Amino acid sequence: MTALLEVEDLRVAYGKIEAVKGISFSIEEGQVVTLIGTNGAGKTTTLRTLSGLLKPTSGSVTFKGERIDGKQAHEIVQMGLAHSPEGRRIFARMTIEENLLLGAFLRRDQAGIQADIRHAYDLFPILGERRKQAAGTLSGGEQQMLAMGRALMSQPKLLMLDEPSMGLSPIMMQKIMSTITELRQGGMTILLVEQNAQAALSLADQGHVMEVGRISLSGTGADLLHDESVRKAYLGED
Amino acid sequence: MHELPQNLVNGLLLGATYGLIAVGYTIVYGIVQLINFAHGEIFMTGAFGALSVYLGLGSGTSMWITIPLMILGAIVTSTVIAVLTERLAYRPLRNAPRLAPLITAIGVSITLQQLVWGFYPSAKSPRVFPSLPGGPYHIGSILIQSSDIFVLVAAVLSTLFLAYFVRSTRTGRAMQATAQDPDTAKLMGINTDRVIVIAFALGAAFAGIAGVAWGLRYGEIKFDMGFLTGLYAFTAAVLGGIGNIYGAMLGGLVLGLVQNLTAIYIADIPGMSQFSSQSWSSVWAFVILILVLMVRPQGLLGERVADRA
Amino acid sequence: MTDTLQLQSEAAARPKPAIPLPTSVARAATAAGAVITAASAFLSWTYSSQFPGDLTVSGYPGGLQWITFAGGLLTLLYTLVGYRVPVLRLLAPGGPEGTTVLLAVGSAVTTWFTLIAISVELGGLANLTGGGWVAGVGSLVAVVGALALPRDGEQTQDAKLRVLLYAGKRPELPPTQPESPWVEVPVVLVTLAVALGIFSYGIDTAYAELFGGFLILTGFTAWALNRSGDFTRLAALMQRNRTTAAVGAFVAAGLFPFTQQGGNAEANANLGVSILIFAATALGLNIVVGLAGLLDLGYVAFLGVGAYTAALVSGAAGAAFHVQFPFWAAALLGAAVSGVFGVLLGAPTLRVRGDYLAIVTLGFGEIFRIVVQNLDGTSGPNVTNGAIGISNVPDLNIFGFDFGSPHSLGWFTIGRFANYFELMLLFTAIIVLVFARSTNSRIGRAWIAIREDETAATAMGINGFRFKLLAFALGATLAGLAGTVFVHVNYSVVPDTFQFAGPTPPNSAFLLAAVVIGGMGTVTGPLVGASLFFLLQAKLSFLHDYQLLLFGLTLILFMRFRPEGIIPNRRRQLEFHEAETAEA
Repeated sequence: MTALLEVEDLRVAYGKIEAVKGISFSIEEGQVVTLIGTNGAGKTTTLRTLSGLLKPTSGSVTFKGERIDGKQAHEIVQMGLAHSPEGRRIFARMTIEENLLLGAFLRRDQAGIQADIRHAYDLFPILGERRKQAAGTLSGGEQQMLAMGRALMSQPKLLMLDEPSMGLSPIMMQKIMSTITELRQGGMTILLVEQNAQAALSLADQGHVMEVGRISLSGTGADLLHDESVRKAYLGED
Repeated sequence: MHELPQNLVNGLLLGATYGLIAVGYTIVYGIVQLINFAHGEIFMTGAFGALSVYLGLGSGTSMWITIPLMILGAIVTSTVIAVLTERLAYRPLRNAPRLAPLITAIGVSITLQQLVWGFYPSAKSPRVFPSLPGGPYHIGSILIQSSDIFVLVAAVLSTLFLAYFVRSTRTGRAMQATAQDPDTAKLMGINTDRVIVIAFALGAAFAGIAGVAWGLRYGEIKFDMGFLTGLYAFTAAVLGGIGNIYGAMLGGLVLGLVQNLTAIYIADIPGMSQFSSQSWSSVWAFVILILVLMVRPQGLLGERVADRA
Repeated sequence: MTDTLQLQSEAAARPKPAIPLPTSVARAATAAGAVITAASAFLSWTYSSQFPGDLTVSGYPGGLQWITFAGGLLTLLYTLVGYRVPVLRLLAPGGPEGTTVLLAVGSAVTTWFTLIAISVELGGLANLTGGGWVAGVGSLVAVVGALALPRDGEQTQDAKLRVLLYAGKRPELPPTQPESPWVEVPVVLVTLAVALGIFSYGIDTAYAELFGGFLILTGFTAWALNRSGDFTRLAALMQRNRTTAAVGAFVAAGLFPFTQQGGNAEANANLGVSILIFAATALGLNIVVGLAGLLDLGYVAFLGVGAYTAALVSGAAGAAFHVQFPFWAAALLGAAVSGVFGVLLGAPTLRVRGDYLAIVTLGFGEIFRIVVQNLDGTSGPNVTNGAIGISNVPDLNIFGFDFGSPHSLGWFTIGRFANYFELMLLFTAIIVLVFARSTNSRIGRAWIAIREDETAATAMGINGFRFKLLAFALGATLAGLAGTVFVHVNYSVVPDTFQFAGPTPPNSAFLLAAVVIGGMGTVTGPLVGASLFFLLQAKLSFLHDYQLLLFGLTLILFMRFRPEGIIPNRRRQLEFHEAETAEA
């Protein structure tokens, strides 16, 4: 079986500055894969390139057996790749329900959409309670829930989450991480970008460590979690 | 004693026309943060499109057929030109520094004016525009022309349509999302390029209607009519809060009223009697723009929007 | 994706010449063609002397034949460079072949432009004599030869513009070591002298055909010299000898009236002074737009404020105040009043979004015109004499030097407009100095920071508003200063001069175009842009009806294909092109 997502020698540059310098990795269906690394390692750039917001300078991205580098972002969403961006980026001046509806923008099955909205409210009850409220009034953690719920509304084959735990309280972070676990058990394929290496690696099947635009180390989540250099560099142990 | 009610009505009617044009500035600005300087010229080409339809139909045709076809002609002309300029001039500059599209917009504005001036038959001087039959009607002391009724109906229907469109349709939601955060809108599967085209087209259609209204009201149209009118309409959009569709309409009405009333009442202020004539009204409109920017830069209905990086 | 990769591998191998011929044959053909072209200028091209310039005479060139002659010689010169002639090799550090192609095409285009103009104006090809055909064929032989030369340029991948990019891009040149000043300074001086010569010739072109031919050849030559690397080398040289170059340039400009002594002397000097006023104003606008990044669309109004202020205190009969200030006081007053207007306008608008400024200044430009039109005694108090304007502005008289009458200096006569030309040159020097000093100062760096990222600049402690206001007011002041000369040169001032867009400069749109197309943020850019625009509209008057249309299209095309302008500012160029790679 071929992988769901196949990234080969991907390079991305802003002007003359290369942010991603030739990375390759793949994701099998049903896997949770995580990219960890410090600020500026190129993780977010990678995700933005996969979802079509940036154009690579070279290399290829294959999703469901089809080349998607060079496709427009909305075409990629149509193929089943959802991206919950860094910093949540919810539509603050729209209601929670409108945000969720936008997540289902490309779907035409009204009944299915309604069912999925109810499902999102089951997953995050707080969203259901405030469905008519402007999304900007939510707390940071609640906004993250909304962002994840919104990304799920497109019924993706692959869900990409960019730093879902950023700026959240420990309790909120727990909640988000347990939701990811729940999604994984439901069979969702996930590409998770995190700075919180401990949390990310403990629920990932595969992990890749990014350093200044390159993948410096790859392995299973458990392997990396026990790797000496990873522990030193990212888990704050000596 | 001035005829206050009459002046109020005149001001509101002028303002409604401004409002129709201002909507175009506001929609486009809301989505791509571009002051489309050429929008005044889109309004002008709409008027010429309508005139062409009228001339093509000949004088024997019934007004009930002519007028709707003229409106259609105006909308089609304006929309096609606006979409073409977006595609050819603005889109290639989407990621350029802000100055580039602004300068392009000036180029587009001059080009459109000159195309009409140079190539539309006898457009070097004002061209007579047909007028609506019927009227004037008296309501109390107020005198109302048929064209006034047209302006009123057009403005009300257009605003209602726009409100429905933006709020309740899928495309409308996509427009709102793109205005708030284009990148994230793309991640929702929204084709933002298409949304931008729709925004230009929608604004242009309204400008086209305004072009017809203008022609009917003043009886003649001219290649440079879009320049100052466009400037006023932009003032109206800022006055109402740029990016806010209802704000554009409200701003238009307020500006129209102020222009009409200052032209008359400023003479009552001691020492200002000389500054009341029509030729000063543009000065007062401009003074208002500056005052608004000083006191309430976000406009009457605008929210404080941080500059997007 | 695969397409691009293929293109890249293609580009790596040098493409073949368009015409397959042995290189030695190609080079010989180019040289022969160039010689024939140049020589043909001494023949008669037509039977009738009705074509302007009289091309019927054999024995020496006339009119457009001079242009062809120059084109042929230039082509020959770079063909000889291709022969690796020792000293000449210095002329083409970026490779001679691509340069030769451009020059050969340039002289062929001018030659054929002339031949076609003769045929069209006199009615048919029958009007060409043998000499005309020799010129036409000779120039084509040179082109054919040049197209068979090996291609030494770097090829770009943009497939759409293949034909235009035939000559290729100049390879990156290694930096050079400074030569001794005994070599460098004469080169600077010779360059300036040549520039003065070309400029004087261009201004003196008496009819549109000649100017057209001149423009074509100059354009191609400029392109060729850019391709050959000569411009890069010269720019580096000028940069090293900055002071010599700047002083030399002003001396050269100051000599311009002395080159104009014929029957057209006053008309040409008038053109010269108008160009200077226009260029100086454009340079002021460049501070606002190019350095601080503020779009001012009503800039000509500040020129108007200066002009009206000076007119009002000039003692002109039509002025409302019957006072006559000495010129230095009038100039300072004009600049100051203009600056005050700049502050009044900038203070409320510069706090809000940058785009609003564009529309407010556009409004101000219009309002200024309407107000001066209305202050006529009937629509408002009489200050400016309304639409008629203030006329009979007296000529200047500074320290007993009467600007109104001609003066003799040895063999030369310096007429009225030439007097003003020298005065305006002084003002231009002041403006250039202000511009150059502020670019390389703390203020200039603050402007750049604000232009590139205002939020970041604010975070670094730069008070964005204050610096923007400074740029805006400074720009206004300088335009006001230029306006004070403007009104004396033209005897009068009327409101209609100060439009947003009109067929004749100065108006705000033309000023902006001079800055943008010349090159934002540079000194030379607006000067070149202003001269080009002014000459184009003055010389090609048969295009009068389409001038504004062409103008609008030029703005659009430049923003699309060369937003950094003719003479790019390095930093600007990066700003304009950095976004192109990553953003989808």
